[in-house]
Amino acid sequence: MFTLENFLFLLQGVPNTLAISFLSFALGFALGIPTAIVKQFSPYGLGYVADAYISVMRGIPVLVIMLLFHFGMAGIIPLFKSAFLSATFALGLRSGAFQSQIFRGAINAVGRQQMMAATSLGMSRWQAFRHVILPQAFIVALPGLGSEIALLIKDSSYAFVLGVLELTKYSDIVRKATRSFLYPYLIAAILYIIITFPVANYLDRLGSRLKTKYGLR
Amino acid sequence: MGEVVLACEGLKKRYGDLWVLKGIDFEIERGQTKVIIGPSGSGKSTFLRLMGLLEPPTEGKIYFEGKDVYNSGLDLNMLRAKIGFVFQEPSLFRHLTALGNVKLGPKVVLKMKDDEAERKAMEALKTVKLEEWAHHYPAQLSGGQQQRVGIARALAMDPDIILFDEPTASLDIELTWEVIDVMKDLARRGVTMLVVTHELGFAKEVADEILFMDDGRIIESGPPEELLKNPKTPRAREFLRRLIGGV
Ligand SMILES: Nc1ncnc2c1ncn2[C@@H]1O[C@H](COP(=O)(O)OP(=O)(O)OP(=O)(O)O)[C@@H](O)[C@H]1O
Ligand SMILES: [Mg+2]
Repeated sequence: MFTLENFLFLLQGVPNTLAISFLSFALGFALGIPTAIVKQFSPYGLGYVADAYISVMRGIPVLVIMLLFHFGMAGIIPLFKSAFLSATFALGLRSGAFQSQIFRGAINAVGRQQMMAATSLGMSRWQAFRHVILPQAFIVALPGLGSEIALLIKDSSYAFVLGVLELTKYSDIVRKATRSFLYPYLIAAILYIIITFPVANYLDRLGSRLKTKYGLR
Repeated sequence: MGEVVLACEGLKKRYGDLWVLKGIDFEIERGQTKVIIGPSGSGKSTFLRLMGLLEPPTEGKIYFEGKDVYNSGLDLNMLRAKIGFVFQEPSLFRHLTALGNVKLGPKVVLKMKDDEAERKAMEALKTVKLEEWAHHYPAQLSGGQQQRVGIARALAMDPDIILFDEPTASLDIELTWEVIDVMKDLARRGVTMLVVTHELGFAKEVADEILFMDDGRIIESGPPEELLKNPKTPRAREFLRRLIGGV
């Protein structure tokens, strides 16, 4: 039998799910912006480093990165002894690559005319980027970032394999304890939707509202 | 004779296999207004972008106040700050208000303090009669108002010259007038201006010289009354006949 008690127990997985998702998003943001900038300006011919990073992250399943970190590299990098941190860094690294692509697209959408106008005022490329291109690119990027957060919330469930006590792991514990095969996972599925929807939807709507206000496409 | 602000010599520009500018000599003195006319694709915008130092020439030299821009180790951004540019395409920074647009250059490039930049920007907005619209975003302004903010943005830098690339080409007739009025006002105040436009009324009233451009060259130039009434080249004659006849 699946009871209210089981449900409340299952809820205990939510904080870790949120923590992994949002920390990895923050890490991805911190990596994504510089990667986009390196790709844009290729300082010291470093553009290929950004390309390589993106290709590698696109090519490896995130679960494999997690396993690699936690089981393969904990000896070299003590940080990865923690299953939680292994999962968060794996997701964050991949998210950095994805977010850099989102920002690249947004930067291109802002358009060359804006760069030209900034240049005509005597701004350096960096000044133009910082004061003109990037603020607009953020707005354009909002819906994409919403989808990225949704992806991270869902993919945080892979951390279950490392034994992190997050939502999927808890639903599995409840399944074993209650021998109820349907409800634990069904409730988990609904909880994932409840977490994901408002965040992604908020960024979507904020994006549309700001785009209308500023006349961005 | 006044000081030459901006000049070029043997200016050529090539995109791929296409020579868009085929050798242009030009100069403009402080306080002068010169107007460029010519058919679509003749290279007017390209010429202006080159003179605004927004693109390097393929061949030839550009001089700012007598100094060879690309051959004397000058800081291009410093020079660009002294050459205003008003574009045909919507070019206001969309995430900033009119005031934000006008004060960004003084703040970031001229390193003015915020209140100083703001005073400068309000002054420029007053010149284009938009001080009441200072806190509106570009998307909330008409095309004509946007172009006037663009002019104010250039003015706030205290430029030595302002280049205008068909600033009214995409505007309705009434909006065209409000922009042209502001530009006439500037010309009369002695702002040095190089203007691509087909508003011949503007050219007649304030231009010291009209240049007719065709196929990458300036093929004819002269004072407005002369060039508009008695164009010497058949190409200019044909172009003006069509422009005035509206055919
Ligand atoms: N960045 C570019 N790359 C390739 N070709 C270009 C570029 N800019 C302009 N051209 C070409 O150069 C030619 C002249 O263009 P330009 O825009 O300077 O003409 P224009 O006289 O300003 O015309 P219009 O009156 O239509 O604005 C055109 O054939 C155009 O296609
Ligand atoms: Mg043009």
